[in-house]
Amino acid sequence: MTTPSVPRRRLGRTVGTVAAAVIGIAFAFPLLWVLTSSLRPGNDIFSYLSPLSIGSFLPIHADPASYGALVHSDFGRAILNSIVVSLVTVVFGLLFSAMAAFGLSAIKFRGQGVLFGIVVLSFLIPFDAISIPLADLFRDVNLQNTYLGLILPGIGNGLAIFLMRQFFLAIPTEIVEAARMDGLGWWGVFTRIYLPLSKPTLVGAGMTLFLFQWQAYMWPLLIGTEPSKQLAPIALANMRGQFTVDFGQVFAGSLVLTVIPLVLILVFQRHYTQSLASTGTKD
Amino acid sequence: MTRTVSRRALLGLGAAVPAAGLLAACGGSGGGGRTVQFVGPELPKTFAPVIAGFERAHPGVTVKYTSVPFDRVNDVLQARLGAKDAEVDVFTVDPPRVSALAARGFLKDLTSYRGEVDRAVLPGQADPSYFRSRLWTVPIWSSTQFLYYNTDLLAKAGITPPGRGPADRLTWERVVELGRKAQKSGAEYGLLLEQTDRYYQLQPLPASLGGGSGIDPHDELTPAVTNDAWVRAMRWYGRIFATGVAPRGVSSDQMNAIFSGGHAAFMVGGPWNIGTLSAQKKFRWGIAPHPYFEGGSPVTPTDSWGWGVNPYGANAGLGLDFVRYAALTKAGSLATIRNNPIIPANAAAFPAYKTVLAEQGGESSAGVGALMEYELTRTAIHRPRTIGYIQFEDIMNKAFADIRNGADPARRLRSAAAALRSAWEQLR
Amino acid sequence: MTTVTKTKETVAPQRKAKRPLWMRLRQSPAAAALLFLAPGLLFLVVLRIAPAVSAVASSLFHYSLLRDTTSFVGFDNYATLFRDSDFHQAVLVTLLFNVIINPLQIAVSLALAVLLNQKLAGVRFWRALVFLPIAVPPAVSAVVWDVAFQPNGLINAFLRVFGLPAQPFLTSGSQALWSIMILCSWIGVGYWMMFLISGLNDIPTSLYEASTLDGAGAWKRFWYITFPMLRRPLAFVLVADTVSNFLVFAPVQILTNGGPENATNLAMFDIYRRAFTLGNMNLAQAEVVLLMLVTLVVVAVQFRLLRSKE
Repeated sequence: MTTPSVPRRRLGRTVGTVAAAVIGIAFAFPLLWVLTSSLRPGNDIFSYLSPLSIGSFLPIHADPASYGALVHSDFGRAILNSIVVSLVTVVFGLLFSAMAAFGLSAIKFRGQGVLFGIVVLSFLIPFDAISIPLADLFRDVNLQNTYLGLILPGIGNGLAIFLMRQFFLAIPTEIVEAARMDGLGWWGVFTRIYLPLSKPTLVGAGMTLFLFQWQAYMWPLLIGTEPSKQLAPIALANMRGQFTVDFGQVFAGSLVLTVIPLVLILVFQRHYTQSLASTGTKD
Repeated sequence: MTRTVSRRALLGLGAAVPAAGLLAACGGSGGGGRTVQFVGPELPKTFAPVIAGFERAHPGVTVKYTSVPFDRVNDVLQARLGAKDAEVDVFTVDPPRVSALAARGFLKDLTSYRGEVDRAVLPGQADPSYFRSRLWTVPIWSSTQFLYYNTDLLAKAGITPPGRGPADRLTWERVVELGRKAQKSGAEYGLLLEQTDRYYQLQPLPASLGGGSGIDPHDELTPAVTNDAWVRAMRWYGRIFATGVAPRGVSSDQMNAIFSGGHAAFMVGGPWNIGTLSAQKKFRWGIAPHPYFEGGSPVTPTDSWGWGVNPYGANAGLGLDFVRYAALTKAGSLATIRNNPIIPANAAAFPAYKTVLAEQGGESSAGVGALMEYELTRTAIHRPRTIGYIQFEDIMNKAFADIRNGADPARRLRSAAAALRSAWEQLR
Repeated sequence: MTTVTKTKETVAPQRKAKRPLWMRLRQSPAAAALLFLAPGLLFLVVLRIAPAVSAVASSLFHYSLLRDTTSFVGFDNYATLFRDSDFHQAVLVTLLFNVIINPLQIAVSLALAVLLNQKLAGVRFWRALVFLPIAVPPAVSAVVWDVAFQPNGLINAFLRVFGLPAQPFLTSGSQALWSIMILCSWIGVGYWMMFLISGLNDIPTSLYEASTLDGAGAWKRFWYITFPMLRRPLAFVLVADTVSNFLVFAPVQILTNGGPENATNLAMFDIYRRAFTLGNMNLAQAEVVLLMLVTLVVVAVQFRLLRSKE
């Protein structure tokens, strides 16, 4: 056997490129359809579907009315709730996770293994599986329909701690020892050395925390039933469950719910994929 | 349960709604800028008049209505009430669920208004609102069922249309026979049952044969769905689909359209169909009493939504005022049915409704008021009262669907009874 | 909770010295570490481990709606579940769903990872396109595909173009589960592909160069180099994907309510229905415990797979 000839390899590449293009377009296509449909108020989309044509998918004759209507519906309030809940989760989640990771990596002490075991155990228990018992506990202490109740479960994220611990462990202990010799306290080591060094990991962990809250469905369904405390995915699902569904608004809502994390993922793509991929490939 | 199909407004009733003067009587806690949150399964249009009437009488108070589709409303409400959701003040309650909801603490105890309620509503209408001798909901509407027929299809088959009086009541056997005959001369279907697979619609079948409600009268958590009457009734139910007299795979909300489209000789359905049918100018139809089984007794389904108050509602007090306005005042009651011709539970509003209904249907439904009154007072049966109703309806509706699709009735009823026993064991 | 009290105990004796907090912390590394750990661990214990424990506890009790009393019943709730036909159906549907969707998603992710890791024209762009749907929340995927699946929706419009009959999708007992698999895979495949691409990039290119010199074909290279070297990321993806697919809930709750005829009654929805529609919290908790056990077993298998090679 010999290596494939140059023309054959070229042919293989052309086929590969065509396949990659077709598949890429197929995956992105529904999103284009969502964008286009969000610009067709009411139930106009259905009339664009029969018969099918290029015009069914391109936002020609665009009318952004659905977005305007969305602002004044329950969904407008819900998207604000989602933003607030997700941002607060990221801020406190990052702080507490980074602190915990620091305690599990920079400082050596006996019993560390046991505590790390708790972290591992907690992220082996999938959150959705325990959300019904947790909601039961939250309802007992009247945390239902409060922002606190919506935010808290997102803050305790074992995966974020795990990600950051991985990174912190790679920071040479000599740096810590030198800083300690210079009289820097542990808090100083944490904020002046560890945090600045780990920006990419902080971004990755922050994205993990953000997406967890942003995409959550079960938990806000159980704990945020009041319209004023609904998160956006719930409000969107409710819109679809109306008697007369305004599909233009459903699509506009879908697009808003998708674009916000999409922009963040695209901006931070490198950090996000790197830090996540490290969970799968490294120990 | 009654699924209401509202298309044509009962315009006549508009005039019957007097000005706000009367309404001050039920005021009390009306304050500034507060909102009553109301959740139910009807289109917003249906409740617009009663909300407008209440708001006029209570300046500064608004009622915000959230509509949840019929199939989901019970689940959505239970999930919200279980979360002590303060943004539900008033909600609709299917009467047989009163026990289950009250036992779970989802309903505010309204017993102190029992005198007021019992006086205002039609006799017997408040019965299902009681659980353990306390009052938990207020009935807003009631319901009954008629046998509608397509005049032209019957004429084509040479069938004399049945009469309108209780004495002219056809048997189910006869209805199927006539339906078949009509099918031979061109009708697509012989008979439609408006609410396919729903216990509300099917309870009268075994009950007519003396088979009871399906629940042991001495123990609310013991099923009784395997007796001969039940098996016979369900065998009949399965057969009308197997033989093509009734259509398989048509959902309840399409029934009216199929009937008014001229595809079926008979349809069993509620009075809310009168409005839609009379709106079809070229469609000729008539009304007859709800059928019964040969050798059995005439029974008809009844009841419709009551309203309850959420004990955790932020404005539960105002919500209660809203319930009392809609249920206990003639004006409020008429406003609840202005856009939706369904039987008001309020005794004072009932005569006006009867007149309008007869006028609306014209010749097709002349005398329907008398028939309705007869059925409500003589043949109506409530659905059973049990804290296990939610499970009962869930399990039975599934069994009905399977029987419709060809399952052996006796065997399927036995497995339903077993499912009921194990589900109810959980409530003991 | 325990971490907090420990922290206080270790800190308390030193309080007599009346030194400022930072001084004391400098003296005792364990105390400092615990202070750093306390908030995070507290959250994990209260929000993850406590509910798991409470589910186990609650699953051993029975609440009587008839008498309004709660009593200890041991494992009766589990016995009830094992006799319950809806539970049987939920187990069957969940297994069927996972047996199909997991191999399918992983095979597609792997194929795409390999394809989109080649040096092709515009490959970064095509990869980004496959990647886009990972930003879509499951609830959004559900409502979007719901419209696509409508009788007069997008997919039937395509079928019409090819002269094929319209399909019922979500309203058909035989198609609904497949429809849910599609909407889950749309957002899942790109996500898992990301892990596999990163795994591919970790494979030293020297391995491929050597094999090319040996004259190995593309398929052989994949089978003898790529596949074994991808073992770890593949094992991770297999397990993480399985766990997430065992917990699929939003599409069922939003679109099918477990129907038609229980065909989409996935475990998570069955639990939800028991807890809220039927109002039987104790039985639901027993099912939660079973689901947790299953996912823990799946994860335990992951660790075995990951360890076995190293």
